[in-house]
Amino acid sequence: MRTEPGFKRQKLVGRAIRRSEDVGLLRGEGAFLADIALPGALEAHFVRSTQPHAIITGIDVSVARSAPGVVAVLTGHDIQFSDDRLLCIDMLENTLDVRQRVLPTDRVRYVGEPIAVVVADNRYRAEDAAELVRVEYAPLTAVQNVQSAILDGAELVYPDLGSNIVHRTHHFDGDPEKAFAEADVILSETFDFHRLFAVPLETRGVMAAIAAEDGRLLVWSSSQIPQMTRGVIAAALGIPKDMVRVIAPRLGGGFGCKENIYPEELIIPKVAVLLQKRLRWLEDRREHFTSATHAREERVAVQAAVTNDGIISAIKLHCTTDIGAAFAMVTNTVTTMMGAMIRGSYRVPSLDARMCSVVTNKVPLNVFRGAGHPQGVLVMEHLLDMAAEKLQIDRVHIRRINLVQPEELPLDRNASDSLGAKRIIYDEGDYPTCFEMAVSDSGYEMFEAERAAALKRGKYLGIGFSNHVEQTAVGPYEDARVSLDLNGRMTVFSPVVAMGQGTEITLRQIAADEIGLDIEAIEIKFGNSDDLPDAIGAFASRGTAIGGSAVRQATRALKHALLDRLAAQLNCGREDLYWSEEGIDGPFLTDGPISVKTGLARLASSSSSAIEEAFRVENIAATYSYASHVAIVEIDVETWKISVPRYIVAHDCGTVINPLLVEGQIVGGVVQGLGGLLREHLLYSKDGQLIPRGLMDYVLPGISDMPRDFRLHHLETPSSVAQFGVRGVGEGGVTGCYGAIATAVSDALRACNIRSMGSGPFKPDRLFAADKTAS
Amino acid sequence: MMQATSNPNCNPDGGIPVEINVNGKPVTQNVQPRLLLSDFIRENCALVATHVGCGEGACGACTVLMNGRPVRSCTLLAVQADGMSITTVEGLNAPAGLNRVQAAFQHFHALQCGYCTPGLLATVTWMVEQGLPSDDATIMDHLAGHLCRCTGYQNILLAVCSLLDGGFEGSPPSEYPKLIRTSHEN
Repeated sequence: MRTEPGFKRQKLVGRAIRRSEDVGLLRGEGAFLADIALPGALEAHFVRSTQPHAIITGIDVSVARSAPGVVAVLTGHDIQFSDDRLLCIDMLENTLDVRQRVLPTDRVRYVGEPIAVVVADNRYRAEDAAELVRVEYAPLTAVQNVQSAILDGAELVYPDLGSNIVHRTHHFDGDPEKAFAEADVILSETFDFHRLFAVPLETRGVMAAIAAEDGRLLVWSSSQIPQMTRGVIAAALGIPKDMVRVIAPRLGGGFGCKENIYPEELIIPKVAVLLQKRLRWLEDRREHFTSATHAREERVAVQAAVTNDGIISAIKLHCTTDIGAAFAMVTNTVTTMMGAMIRGSYRVPSLDARMCSVVTNKVPLNVFRGAGHPQGVLVMEHLLDMAAEKLQIDRVHIRRINLVQPEELPLDRNASDSLGAKRIIYDEGDYPTCFEMAVSDSGYEMFEAERAAALKRGKYLGIGFSNHVEQTAVGPYEDARVSLDLNGRMTVFSPVVAMGQGTEITLRQIAADEIGLDIEAIEIKFGNSDDLPDAIGAFASRGTAIGGSAVRQATRALKHALLDRLAAQLNCGREDLYWSEEGIDGPFLTDGPISVKTGLARLASSSSSAIEEAFRVENIAATYSYASHVAIVEIDVETWKISVPRYIVAHDCGTVINPLLVEGQIVGGVVQGLGGLLREHLLYSKDGQLIPRGLMDYVLPGISDMPRDFRLHHLETPSSVAQFGVRGVGEGGVTGCYGAIATAVSDALRACNIRSMGSGPFKPDRLFAADKTAS
Repeated sequence: MMQATSNPNCNPDGGIPVEINVNGKPVTQNVQPRLLLSDFIRENCALVATHVGCGEGACGACTVLMNGRPVRSCTLLAVQADGMSITTVEGLNAPAGLNRVQAAFQHFHALQCGYCTPGLLATVTWMVEQGLPSDDATIMDHLAGHLCRCTGYQNILLAVCSLLDGGFEGSPPSEYPKLIRTSHEN
């Protein structure tokens, strides 16, 4: 495509380039944590609490210690940490500190909490020995849910703190009291979002070794945030940060589950140091159910003030989030974002949203793809449908009249969040056009005829709508480093851990366009804390928008540095060289412009050292992606199975780097949302035990669950807030799906007089039971 | 990246002799009766393309071909594979680059994190060998035992369909096909 020596060529950004990372993945060439060989490593297995809430009265490890193959059995009595509290980065000043302790010896607060670690010469024998560890408990009353947790006299998960409510936030905008006083209709509803979790197909894992060459502690962890993990390990072990190196290999999915620092990430390195042995822990799936963070569970009591013409003028809500037994890294963000973003694409001038995090005796809760956005969208769309029904207004019309118009943007929502972006200010966009794109392709005009025809086939049909705005690309900063050798090969170091989102191809496209080299000349390195020790990581739809900006800026800095060196070489002034469409140009280049490679070749005569530059993107303002989803669902009258014959998305994520990946993120996100609403449920028994413990009884969406006719429409409005117009796109598929599917199911259920089932899960047994009650 | 090496710890006490043909090579080892086939492949044979996702036969990530047919290596014991031949993704690989099934997966963006992909490749390779029809119902029926948490399955269906109907010939066209009806507005 490209002709030397010119620099002019078709840009790579914006094109659906096939992923270069696919070759290794498809050939199965060792990429994930468990694929990395650590010769001679011992294997660890954890003894975990079987009690939801209890005082530990004794731990007897003596039998286990003498079991075959066992090297060590260690409890919190044997392992001391300089700092044994795990990281939480979203605690406000008035937040009660319920950060998780690494290895408790006195009290357990959830089923699955680690109590002891068994180290043996192989995993089978470590698991055998773990069964020989005897833990004696004095059971306490388990705090099961937020309703009971906040009652006077409730059992306290942390008795010293005096309350199970550990964090509160409040978002306020406009004049809600006046709006409610003047309302023609007041709607009121309560939603109970059920607990579920991310379930990356690769479970978690940690390995640790002492590096032979320099004595540093080397840790591999399946983490979205290896740099932050490094700091926490160093603090916990009481060693300097530069004596620890954390490597996050390629992840088999993250989705927020791996945006946390877990007890095992401190225990495994600590034990490796104590024993002076290489050590490996691979979480198994059964373990994952009680050792990886859970998500979504909250109770939202909401009221809406509505005028007779269908305008929602104010929302009041109380959101009580069941965070389980302790904070994970960004637990409070879930409740905060739910209230902060509930209005989404809709104007709703006044808001009084009070959110709190409540501790219970369950697995700690953390963000999962969408954080609190999906819950907010579902509530908002249900409110619109309730208002439409009450006032006999068309469901599409009521959305049209409440949508924020393009001329109202940018819009300050006067709601602060707790992470970086101090205010929520929507950037530019066109929400009504987006909505019309989705609706006009949905068959809404003819839907009643379609519904009637379906009923004759024994199917209840329903249609649902959602509009949402999603905060993406959240700060605080991000790093990148680039190195260009004189043979024209460029290495890009980025903290954007590869977990399926297409990090390598995305950053290669960006870097190749900036420097003017072929994509094959660019190599991406990620996940090694030594490369960018203070960087942030991959979460909150920030990889491309922020990580990509850092790469672009670092590459620009490198281009300047290249000209600096070339000017010295050519003995001309720096101002006599500049970058043009053709490459490097200037009056002293008598044969015309030269390519990057030619320029590098000239430098090679005097020095062989590579050119290196680093860049930190700072003062990041979040950008706001938006989308409209329309779902058509079909419920079988006999079996109550729900399928999705048609699904339409119109969306705007700003400047698109690679449309292939954008589509993949949205389609994959929608199906993850479907799973959450139709199938997945982390149900606890009355005695505090988690019931599903594997993928046989926690059913993820399969290929037959996907929407049969999936239609995707793109708007591309570059954000003026983001440095290169890019908004994040990693999470919106789930968020929009929550509103569209829930309202579609409710619409279908009206035919059989089943009142809205809120947020589901819309499982056949629950629908069947609801039908029995209705009839 | 270091490659996995044979882990003698999986058979420390002698165990039971097995002879399993793995990717065309006979492997004779003594294994513990409880050693899972997935662990035999990953640890004892150091073939790490086969991934374990659930350990109970629900997700399909660990699927390999046993005597040519797809099986779950996490719910079989190594001793059950005695005398059998096992093919993993390493055994399906072309000397370099991608084979036809793999190329279709890349072309249609049918993988994201890639963790479930080797298991899918085993099943889809078998489907192609069987000459199964390319209708959606057949494909969904045969892939019902594979979970993918990233893609939402749309592109997996398209890739497999193109392999079964002969539309995908191994040298992908450079243009991205209209997988999903799409409109671009600016």
